[in-house]
Amino acid sequence: MRARFVAGKVFGALGTFVFVLVFNFFLFRVVNDDPTGKLFRGRNLSQAQLDRRRQEFNLDGTKFEQFLAYLKQTVSGNLGDSFLSRRPVTTEIREALWPTIALVGTSTILSMLIGIMLGIAAGWRRRSKVDVGATSFAMFTYSVPDFWLGMVLLAFFAVRWPWFPTGGFEDAGSTATGLSALLDQAHHMALPCITLTLAYIGEYMIVMRSSLLDTVNEDFLQLARAKGLRDVAVRRRHAVPNALLPVVSLSALNFGYVLSGAIAVESIYSWPGIGQATLEAIRGPDFPMLQGLFLLFSASMIIANLAVDLLYGLLDPRVRGR
Amino acid sequence: MKLRRILGAGAIAGLVLIGIPTTPAAAQDDPVTMTIGLLQDMSSPNVTVGYLVPEFEVWNLQYATLTSKAADDFSTIPGLAESWVESNGGLTYTYTLREGLKWSDGEPITADDIAYTINRSRDEEWYNHFSTVENLDAVAIDERTVEITSSVPDPKLPTMDVYIVPKHIYEPISFDDLESYEALDGVASGPYSLTEWRSGQDWTMVKNPNYYGRDNGIDRIVYRVFSNADAMVAALQRGEIDAAHNFNASSVEQLQNDENVTVVAGLQGGFTELALNGMAGGIGDGNPALQNIDVRHAIFYAIDRNVLFDRVALGLGSVGTTLSPSADPSWIPDLGDEGFAYDPERSAALLEGAGYVDSDGDGIRETPDGDPLVLRYIVRSESTDAAPIAEFITGWLEAVGIGTETTVMDDTQLYDAQVGGLYDMFVWGWTPYVDPDPMLSYFTCDQVTYDVEEAGYNDANWCDPAYDELYQQQRVELDSAKRREIVAQMLRLFNTESTYLVLLQDPDLQAYRTDRFEGWLQQPANTGPVLFTNSSPTYENLSVIGAEPPVTDDGATEGTTAPDATTAPDATTVDGDSAATTVAPVPAGEDDGGSNTGVIVGIIVAILVVGGGGFFLAKRRGSADDRE
Repeated sequence: MRARFVAGKVFGALGTFVFVLVFNFFLFRVVNDDPTGKLFRGRNLSQAQLDRRRQEFNLDGTKFEQFLAYLKQTVSGNLGDSFLSRRPVTTEIREALWPTIALVGTSTILSMLIGIMLGIAAGWRRRSKVDVGATSFAMFTYSVPDFWLGMVLLAFFAVRWPWFPTGGFEDAGSTATGLSALLDQAHHMALPCITLTLAYIGEYMIVMRSSLLDTVNEDFLQLARAKGLRDVAVRRRHAVPNALLPVVSLSALNFGYVLSGAIAVESIYSWPGIGQATLEAIRGPDFPMLQGLFLLFSASMIIANLAVDLLYGLLDPRVRGR
Repeated sequence: MKLRRILGAGAIAGLVLIGIPTTPAAAQDDPVTMTIGLLQDMSSPNVTVGYLVPEFEVWNLQYATLTSKAADDFSTIPGLAESWVESNGGLTYTYTLREGLKWSDGEPITADDIAYTINRSRDEEWYNHFSTVENLDAVAIDERTVEITSSVPDPKLPTMDVYIVPKHIYEPISFDDLESYEALDGVASGPYSLTEWRSGQDWTMVKNPNYYGRDNGIDRIVYRVFSNADAMVAALQRGEIDAAHNFNASSVEQLQNDENVTVVAGLQGGFTELALNGMAGGIGDGNPALQNIDVRHAIFYAIDRNVLFDRVALGLGSVGTTLSPSADPSWIPDLGDEGFAYDPERSAALLEGAGYVDSDGDGIRETPDGDPLVLRYIVRSESTDAAPIAEFITGWLEAVGIGTETTVMDDTQLYDAQVGGLYDMFVWGWTPYVDPDPMLSYFTCDQVTYDVEEAGYNDANWCDPAYDELYQQQRVELDSAKRREIVAQMLRLFNTESTYLVLLQDPDLQAYRTDRFEGWLQQPANTGPVLFTNSSPTYENLSVIGAEPPVTDDGATEGTTAPDATTAPDATTVDGDSAATTVAPVPAGEDDGGSNTGVIVGIIVAILVVGGGGFFLAKRRGSADDRE
């Protein structure tokens, strides 16, 4: 790959990041630029106490002064303190990050693997029973809202048959460490993970299937068959690698979404992840948290996009030639 | 393909195995844990930062106050202080601490801790302390004596309910560092101390061995945060948790039918009101018709609060009367026939009398100037009751010829519209403290917003010098009977003159299991909630069912009821089955730290299937490549 190609992509990503950095500050201040009064409604605070808080929140100067302070702080790697908890935003985000990576990351990988396998099975034998079955299944899980699926699974497998806990990341007040803590977390993660996996499978399956269908009638497959290759080998060595391109970009982009959490499913299963943290921050509104979270979302999307661009360069020589 | 199907099935089987029901491995020496479910996490356990309901429960347990409040009626009872003497015409109180008080870390609790907390919180204007200590000065006379003097007559004294913090922990923390202090030191003077907080998940409080009060036999209290109210209700019924706070009204019936659960709809002063724009601040664009008191009363008479109570609140809580200034309902006077009982004819007559008639026959009255009488109604998106309430109210208003235009706003937008005077009506609510002063103060002229940059609390946007005068009188009236009479006058005046119609008294819906712990206390008696109350007296009164009663230091066996507590049957306990108090103790879903065989077997199977499958696939791929 040419260095110029890589450098161009990286600079593009950096430019987008800087734009987001600036845009973030103004985005959350459009509706209301000073939530102090609302946050402390009914708290019996004097005007002087409210003013002091406003000052601590960096909401007392002009918009431009606030913006400069925000830039200065963010560029030095400090995302500020949450309005609600007064703890550093980085601490708050770090605490919510692991549950989200565990849940959304696992279900993204699982749904990707299962979805691709189903897509290959369905696309390779078009109109077969496998195709009809897999396509109907994928269409169903894809079109069902994930929060509804979550509620149904919870109602059956945590309430009707209490096999799984009713929510949470681990047992409340658990002091377990090491393997037993991990097992406890796996037990808690099972239902939300199944929910998200089912919800995501359809996307991969459908894209994989249609991409494979496009490939099936290509001349190079005829050639491979004419060489006398077995059907399995034709599929694996020639059809699937060519059909994988759109799925690769879809997967990489979806990995960018992992850090955004899954607000609905996290809510249903009381999962203490990024989705819930976002919801809380919006309710505040907690500007420093929102800025920090959106910076994280944008950064992960930008990196995922960059990865897709570079991967394409690797996988498809036509791209890097341009 | 076959292999992959096996692989997939194996993975699913593994996942299912993870969920095989497990029997709690309840070891004999496991700590007795009570788990309480709630829908809100703490904002911060730091007493100079936090402001939400959950952290007040934590502080109530962790920090004993100089005087405490009785469960029955909030009356002042001994706390850290065992007695007190008044002097200096009621301006000074001298408190004597109990003997031998210790913090949970073994340091003695002295008068110095009290004086330090009061004086520092006043100088630094701590958010949860300042309104109480603003005019106070505290001096430690000796180890067990502290003298508190108020610079103005203060009817709240001798009640001293600010949280006393350990001086030896707080003194090294500077003012600048105080807000970022994590406050997980776990040094307690109350029955429990906070030892761990996992943000978004749970927090744990453990028994303070040095607490001066009764030992309830419960070693730990775990608060588990749910974001799904229905899941919390299910967890209560399964026994994963022992009590639940603030679920949906729609779950009440289901819980009432569970013989192991008691439901409490506890009132502690919180209310929902309809506010009209009185334009007292002179800013904004409120409909001028609302400044006519007859129009306001016509609106009030057009609204049937009993229907809102039955249909929206599902009969839980109670119907609103006037401003509810305190968690103690006895402050609210009887309004007699001034209570704006539903009377649409009277409403129509008032409008006619004020010159509002429907001259063009479109069903909407016109103002004396000829404009249609249409009011802008802001509906809160952050309340599930707001939309149904708006449906009813707009219907009732239309029936008497008042048109409405509804807009949905979140609390931030509504707050902005309210302080800017940019509305005609909205429905929102308040929750008062025990002392009525703060809530009463919100509706004085001082609290009206005249400039959005200096917004006050007065969201009635109404003010009346007569009300303000009474407010100043009650503020310094040390005779409690006289003060109550002044407050009653204020509330009557507010009811008839102001722009507020209090629609509903909102309950805290709580439920607890009756098979593990007993002795749940309502504060105030008969009408209040059992948890998240003003001074949290329930915990000290609880006992573990089936456990030996704890033995006190002097060898006597304690009853299940603390001296100042009540176990009177409760009128608002909405349990369908009052006989269901105790059943055989059941090991109720005690947390077992994840040590269960089902999980282990499941994980191992999953790992074997996935790992083995991967290996087999790799092998197969290799051989296929070879054959090509």
